[in-house]
Amino acid sequence: MKKRTATVLPGLGGFVLPYARPFLAIALALLVSAGLILARGANPIAAYTAMLQGAFGSVAALANTGVRATPLLLGGLGVALGFKAGLLNVGAEGQIYAGGIAATAVGISPLPVPPWLHLLLTVVAGFVGGALWGLIPAYLRAYRGVSEIVVTLMLNYVGIQLASFLVQEYAPLGEQGVFYPQSPLILPSAHLPILIKGTSLHGGIVLGLVLGVFLHFVLRYTNFGFRTRMVGENPEAARYAGVDVRRQIFTALSVACGLGGLAGTSEVIGLKLRLFDRFSQGLGYDAIAVALMANGNPLGVILTAIFFGALRAGAGKMQVVVGIETPIASVIQALAVLFVIAIGFTERARVTRREREQEPEQERAVHGDQ
Amino acid sequence: MEISSIFNDWLLASVRMAAPLMLLGIGGVFTERIGVFNIGMEGMMLVGAMAAVAGDLVTGSVWVGTLCAMLAGGLLAVIHAYLTVTRRANQIVSGAAINLLALGLTNLLYGPLYEGFKYRPRVALYPKLAPPAWQEIPILGPVLFAQPVIVWIAFALPLVATWILYRTSWGLNIRAVGDHPHAVATAGVSVFRLKYIGVILSGVFSGLGGSALVLADLGMFGPNLTAGRGFIALAALAVGSWNPTWVAAACLFFGAADALQLRAQTWSQTYGVNIPYQFLVMVPYLLTIVALAGLVGRTAAPKTVGKPYEPESY
Amino acid sequence: MDRNGDIALRMVGITKRFPGVLANDNVTFELKAGEVHGLLGENGAGKTTLVNILFGIHQPDSGEIFINDKKVEVTSPRAANDLGIGMVHQHFMLVENLTALENIVLGLPLERPPLLDLNPARARFRELTKEYDLDLDPSTPVWQLPVGDQQWLEFLKLLFRDARILILDEPTAVLAPSQVERLFKTIRYLADEGCSIVFISHKLREMKEVADRVTVLRDGHVVGTVDPRGTTPSQLAQMMVGRDVFLDRRSRPLSESKQAVLAINGLSCQDDRGTLALRDLSLNAYAGEIVGVAGVDGNGQRELAECIAGLRQPTRGTVQINGKPVSGVVRDTSLLGFIPEDRRKTGLVLGFGVAENLILKTFAEPRFTRHRVMQWGAIQQEANTLIQEYDIRTPHSMMPVRFLSGGNQQRVVVARELSGDPALVVASQATRGLDVSAIESAHKMLLRERNRGAAVLFISTELPEVLALSDRIIIMFEGQIMGELDAESADVGLIGELMLGHREVAEMAAGETV
Repeated sequence: MKKRTATVLPGLGGFVLPYARPFLAIALALLVSAGLILARGANPIAAYTAMLQGAFGSVAALANTGVRATPLLLGGLGVALGFKAGLLNVGAEGQIYAGGIAATAVGISPLPVPPWLHLLLTVVAGFVGGALWGLIPAYLRAYRGVSEIVVTLMLNYVGIQLASFLVQEYAPLGEQGVFYPQSPLILPSAHLPILIKGTSLHGGIVLGLVLGVFLHFVLRYTNFGFRTRMVGENPEAARYAGVDVRRQIFTALSVACGLGGLAGTSEVIGLKLRLFDRFSQGLGYDAIAVALMANGNPLGVILTAIFFGALRAGAGKMQVVVGIETPIASVIQALAVLFVIAIGFTERARVTRREREQEPEQERAVHGDQ
Repeated sequence: MEISSIFNDWLLASVRMAAPLMLLGIGGVFTERIGVFNIGMEGMMLVGAMAAVAGDLVTGSVWVGTLCAMLAGGLLAVIHAYLTVTRRANQIVSGAAINLLALGLTNLLYGPLYEGFKYRPRVALYPKLAPPAWQEIPILGPVLFAQPVIVWIAFALPLVATWILYRTSWGLNIRAVGDHPHAVATAGVSVFRLKYIGVILSGVFSGLGGSALVLADLGMFGPNLTAGRGFIALAALAVGSWNPTWVAAACLFFGAADALQLRAQTWSQTYGVNIPYQFLVMVPYLLTIVALAGLVGRTAAPKTVGKPYEPESY
Repeated sequence: MDRNGDIALRMVGITKRFPGVLANDNVTFELKAGEVHGLLGENGAGKTTLVNILFGIHQPDSGEIFINDKKVEVTSPRAANDLGIGMVHQHFMLVENLTALENIVLGLPLERPPLLDLNPARARFRELTKEYDLDLDPSTPVWQLPVGDQQWLEFLKLLFRDARILILDEPTAVLAPSQVERLFKTIRYLADEGCSIVFISHKLREMKEVADRVTVLRDGHVVGTVDPRGTTPSQLAQMMVGRDVFLDRRSRPLSESKQAVLAINGLSCQDDRGTLALRDLSLNAYAGEIVGVAGVDGNGQRELAECIAGLRQPTRGTVQINGKPVSGVVRDTSLLGFIPEDRRKTGLVLGFGVAENLILKTFAEPRFTRHRVMQWGAIQQEANTLIQEYDIRTPHSMMPVRFLSGGNQQRVVVARELSGDPALVVASQATRGLDVSAIESAHKMLLRERNRGAAVLFISTELPEVLALSDRIIIMFEGQIMGELDAESADVGLIGELMLGHREVAEMAAGETV
């Protein structure tokens, strides 16, 4: 996003706040949550201090933050790409499972290839798994005009169930003789490397960062990105400009779902090292929140994912120190998104009025000279 | 005898499981008719369910619980209404954020809810309306008369809602404002008021649906109890063409599918037919997709659903 | 014809400010009982704001309103309705999926609340339709009604509420000449009955026909109130714009080219609803001429433009530009420059910057994309050149286009479409919604293209513009070409008949002149 014009907040006079919206929203969210913490009988300052420590206070904490941020980053990029194409891909949860399934299938198979290739194939499989999961909503949306929202939502639940089935003891991806449904161990050759010894921080974060930058580049500097953004902003004008809108939507949504698949992949081959029944627990929905807060911008997704990861990592410490349960992190996240969209409107309203009333002024200025 | 009792069993469950969906469907009709998309109904149902249990737990009264549920859903809906109507934010984003908030809040308060209890207690349920004698009537008896009161309410309300929508002037306004808000404004009717009422109604009904989910048979709350039922109700809106009675019928259909998969899990074990339960659980969701895909080109959604109302853009 | 000089409405010293602009500057406006008073002015002159204040949509910053010499506050449209003020808006305020009767009844106080009892309303509906000689069925859903009937329905809404002060905003936009006649007759009838009418239009000729007096607004203030019968259209235009405006036919060099730039043969296609929009249409356009396509909106003009641009697949027939057949959207700006009707919806991506909009079709060309990477430096350079050449007022080339004024937005579209010096220029309702000076520049621009040697297809519902601009005129009706005339010698009445499909009349007239 390029230069923005002045944002005026209600009651705050003529403040100029370029890019500050998300930070203000986070501050407000933290404020409201402090109220909740107080109501539960704890000290908000102590709580947030604990949270900061848990997120950034040590190497282990930073690693924890990174680990939590990774699936949010990858999933968030998927949702963000959809956003840019004008689509609401709320099926990240299902894509995570689909990617996890595909990656597991390849990851537990002893393939006669060198380790790096095994890893590569596993990652690619995960991407493809997610993309395949997105085929149906992509087709229905692009070529039949069916809203992708409900379809992807439904497929989330289908994905959870499918994965659950596949890791049962009697199923193709199930491990025998364990008390909790899970797949066999992913072969070491298909593991994502650990970045910091002694922590769980794995290469998935690097994958996410690289893809984030790459996606930014694609959107800004490639024809594919240009077409995608055009379709996202105004599909009719895109059609008039000669873009095959349906194909663009189909492709963009498929790639976005593939990114969601990568989120699941990285969890399975980087962190958990097995496909566990119900391993996601809502990561997909968090990824949606990440993308929404970043307004679909890949670089913003990186920042937001780290923030949300920090929240999650810190929440664990917060529970230990002041006794507030970990779901508080979700509450803060949700409030942050709500505040972002509440604040965001003001700029738009001013603009709508101003652009309308500017018309006579500028008309005069222009035609008066002829 | 066995076959008919299975069938009865299934009908009974269908009706009971459809009830929450039907209640959400009514709310959904009102909010989409006035032009606001509310995918937050899932979250509103969830907080409603928890509030119902909480209220019932504290006072022992199922009706206090119901009231609490409606209040909780309504409050979340006020947030959604404020964001989408007054602030003109993206309606999907707002609904998604509200779902996240609901999930977070209910998970956060789940511990405190059952604090002090070793096992989750079963709270007071909705009474069954008819005398036991009636329940013995073959076939119809159990299906119709062994239902908790809330089911009757869920069946009656769509008819009331349909009557209101097509037979009152307020209903006419509702039908008009989602299609052409400026026409309604220039006719001298307050668009903002209609939209707020529509959204809040969807929250109240979602809360009521949550209460129906939890106080009909279950009696206790669990994390993420709603499991996407709020989204299924959204699909029912399109299938039912935004007419409360048809939407309720569609919800009945989806409820039957839901009940079928639960029953089938028991049947398959009883009869040795080994269908993994996961596939049965998938059925209602897949069915929704098929229903939506089949409707392509025939949907007539209210024209301005999803677009914010801008009084100046005349 | 005003009755006895009674003042039905006075708006005194109305001032209204919006952020950044003074929309109404101390405007005083007077309406006599039984008068038809025209309100004339460009977009942004303040006439819409003024009537919106009258109708209660806005509140003035200062000033007063008197109805029959009694001071009133019009706080909302409901208050306006109660005061007997009614408005027919430019864009219909009709809910399409409801019936005609339901639309009328919307917002009306009820006999037996909350029940919706349509019977008394239905009776009154039939009464009124009989009185005004209308053929309207109250239970027809509005989407099924033809546009002319929809407009009558808007009128009926006002009559139902016993409105005595009627505001009509651009009511003739969608009507054919004979329908306009009927409308004017009704307006005069209503005036004779004692209603007072404010008639907003930008069509100078209509003011002469129907208005008793005309008030001209410019830049938010009143320029003057005149008798239209004693004023020429160019005098009125001068008042509107503040300088001389030339809208009549301009002299032009004759073109003798026989090279068909556009060759359409036996073209048939369907519209969005699946009905036949074009029937076996054949048309040629030659280099250095302007072919005007006249006709009432909705007779296939849009589909014709879309087939030429490659946006719509014909079911039969061919379209060729410079000998090359059209299949798929034409992106080559040396072949076709397409100026659409709704620049905001289809011509521009509002969220994109000026530069991005300028390369909307050409972004994949080698000069803008090298080795798969878009060269923003080169793109911005090209954009700056075009910004200068086409006089686009913008702070910089990356400014999102939504912040530009309407006129400048139009310039961006024009720059993009014409900078490639296309062989064929198609302007599809390109002057719709533009005010007089913008129309003047649009005409000059099209004439420039013609003189450069392009073939120009000027599709418009505004007959006076078509007459002024074209070399040849073709008239479309129900997807067919009714006739072709030389613009210099064209008979307006004949064109009007052809626009309504009355071929026999045309043939008869042709027979008579032979």
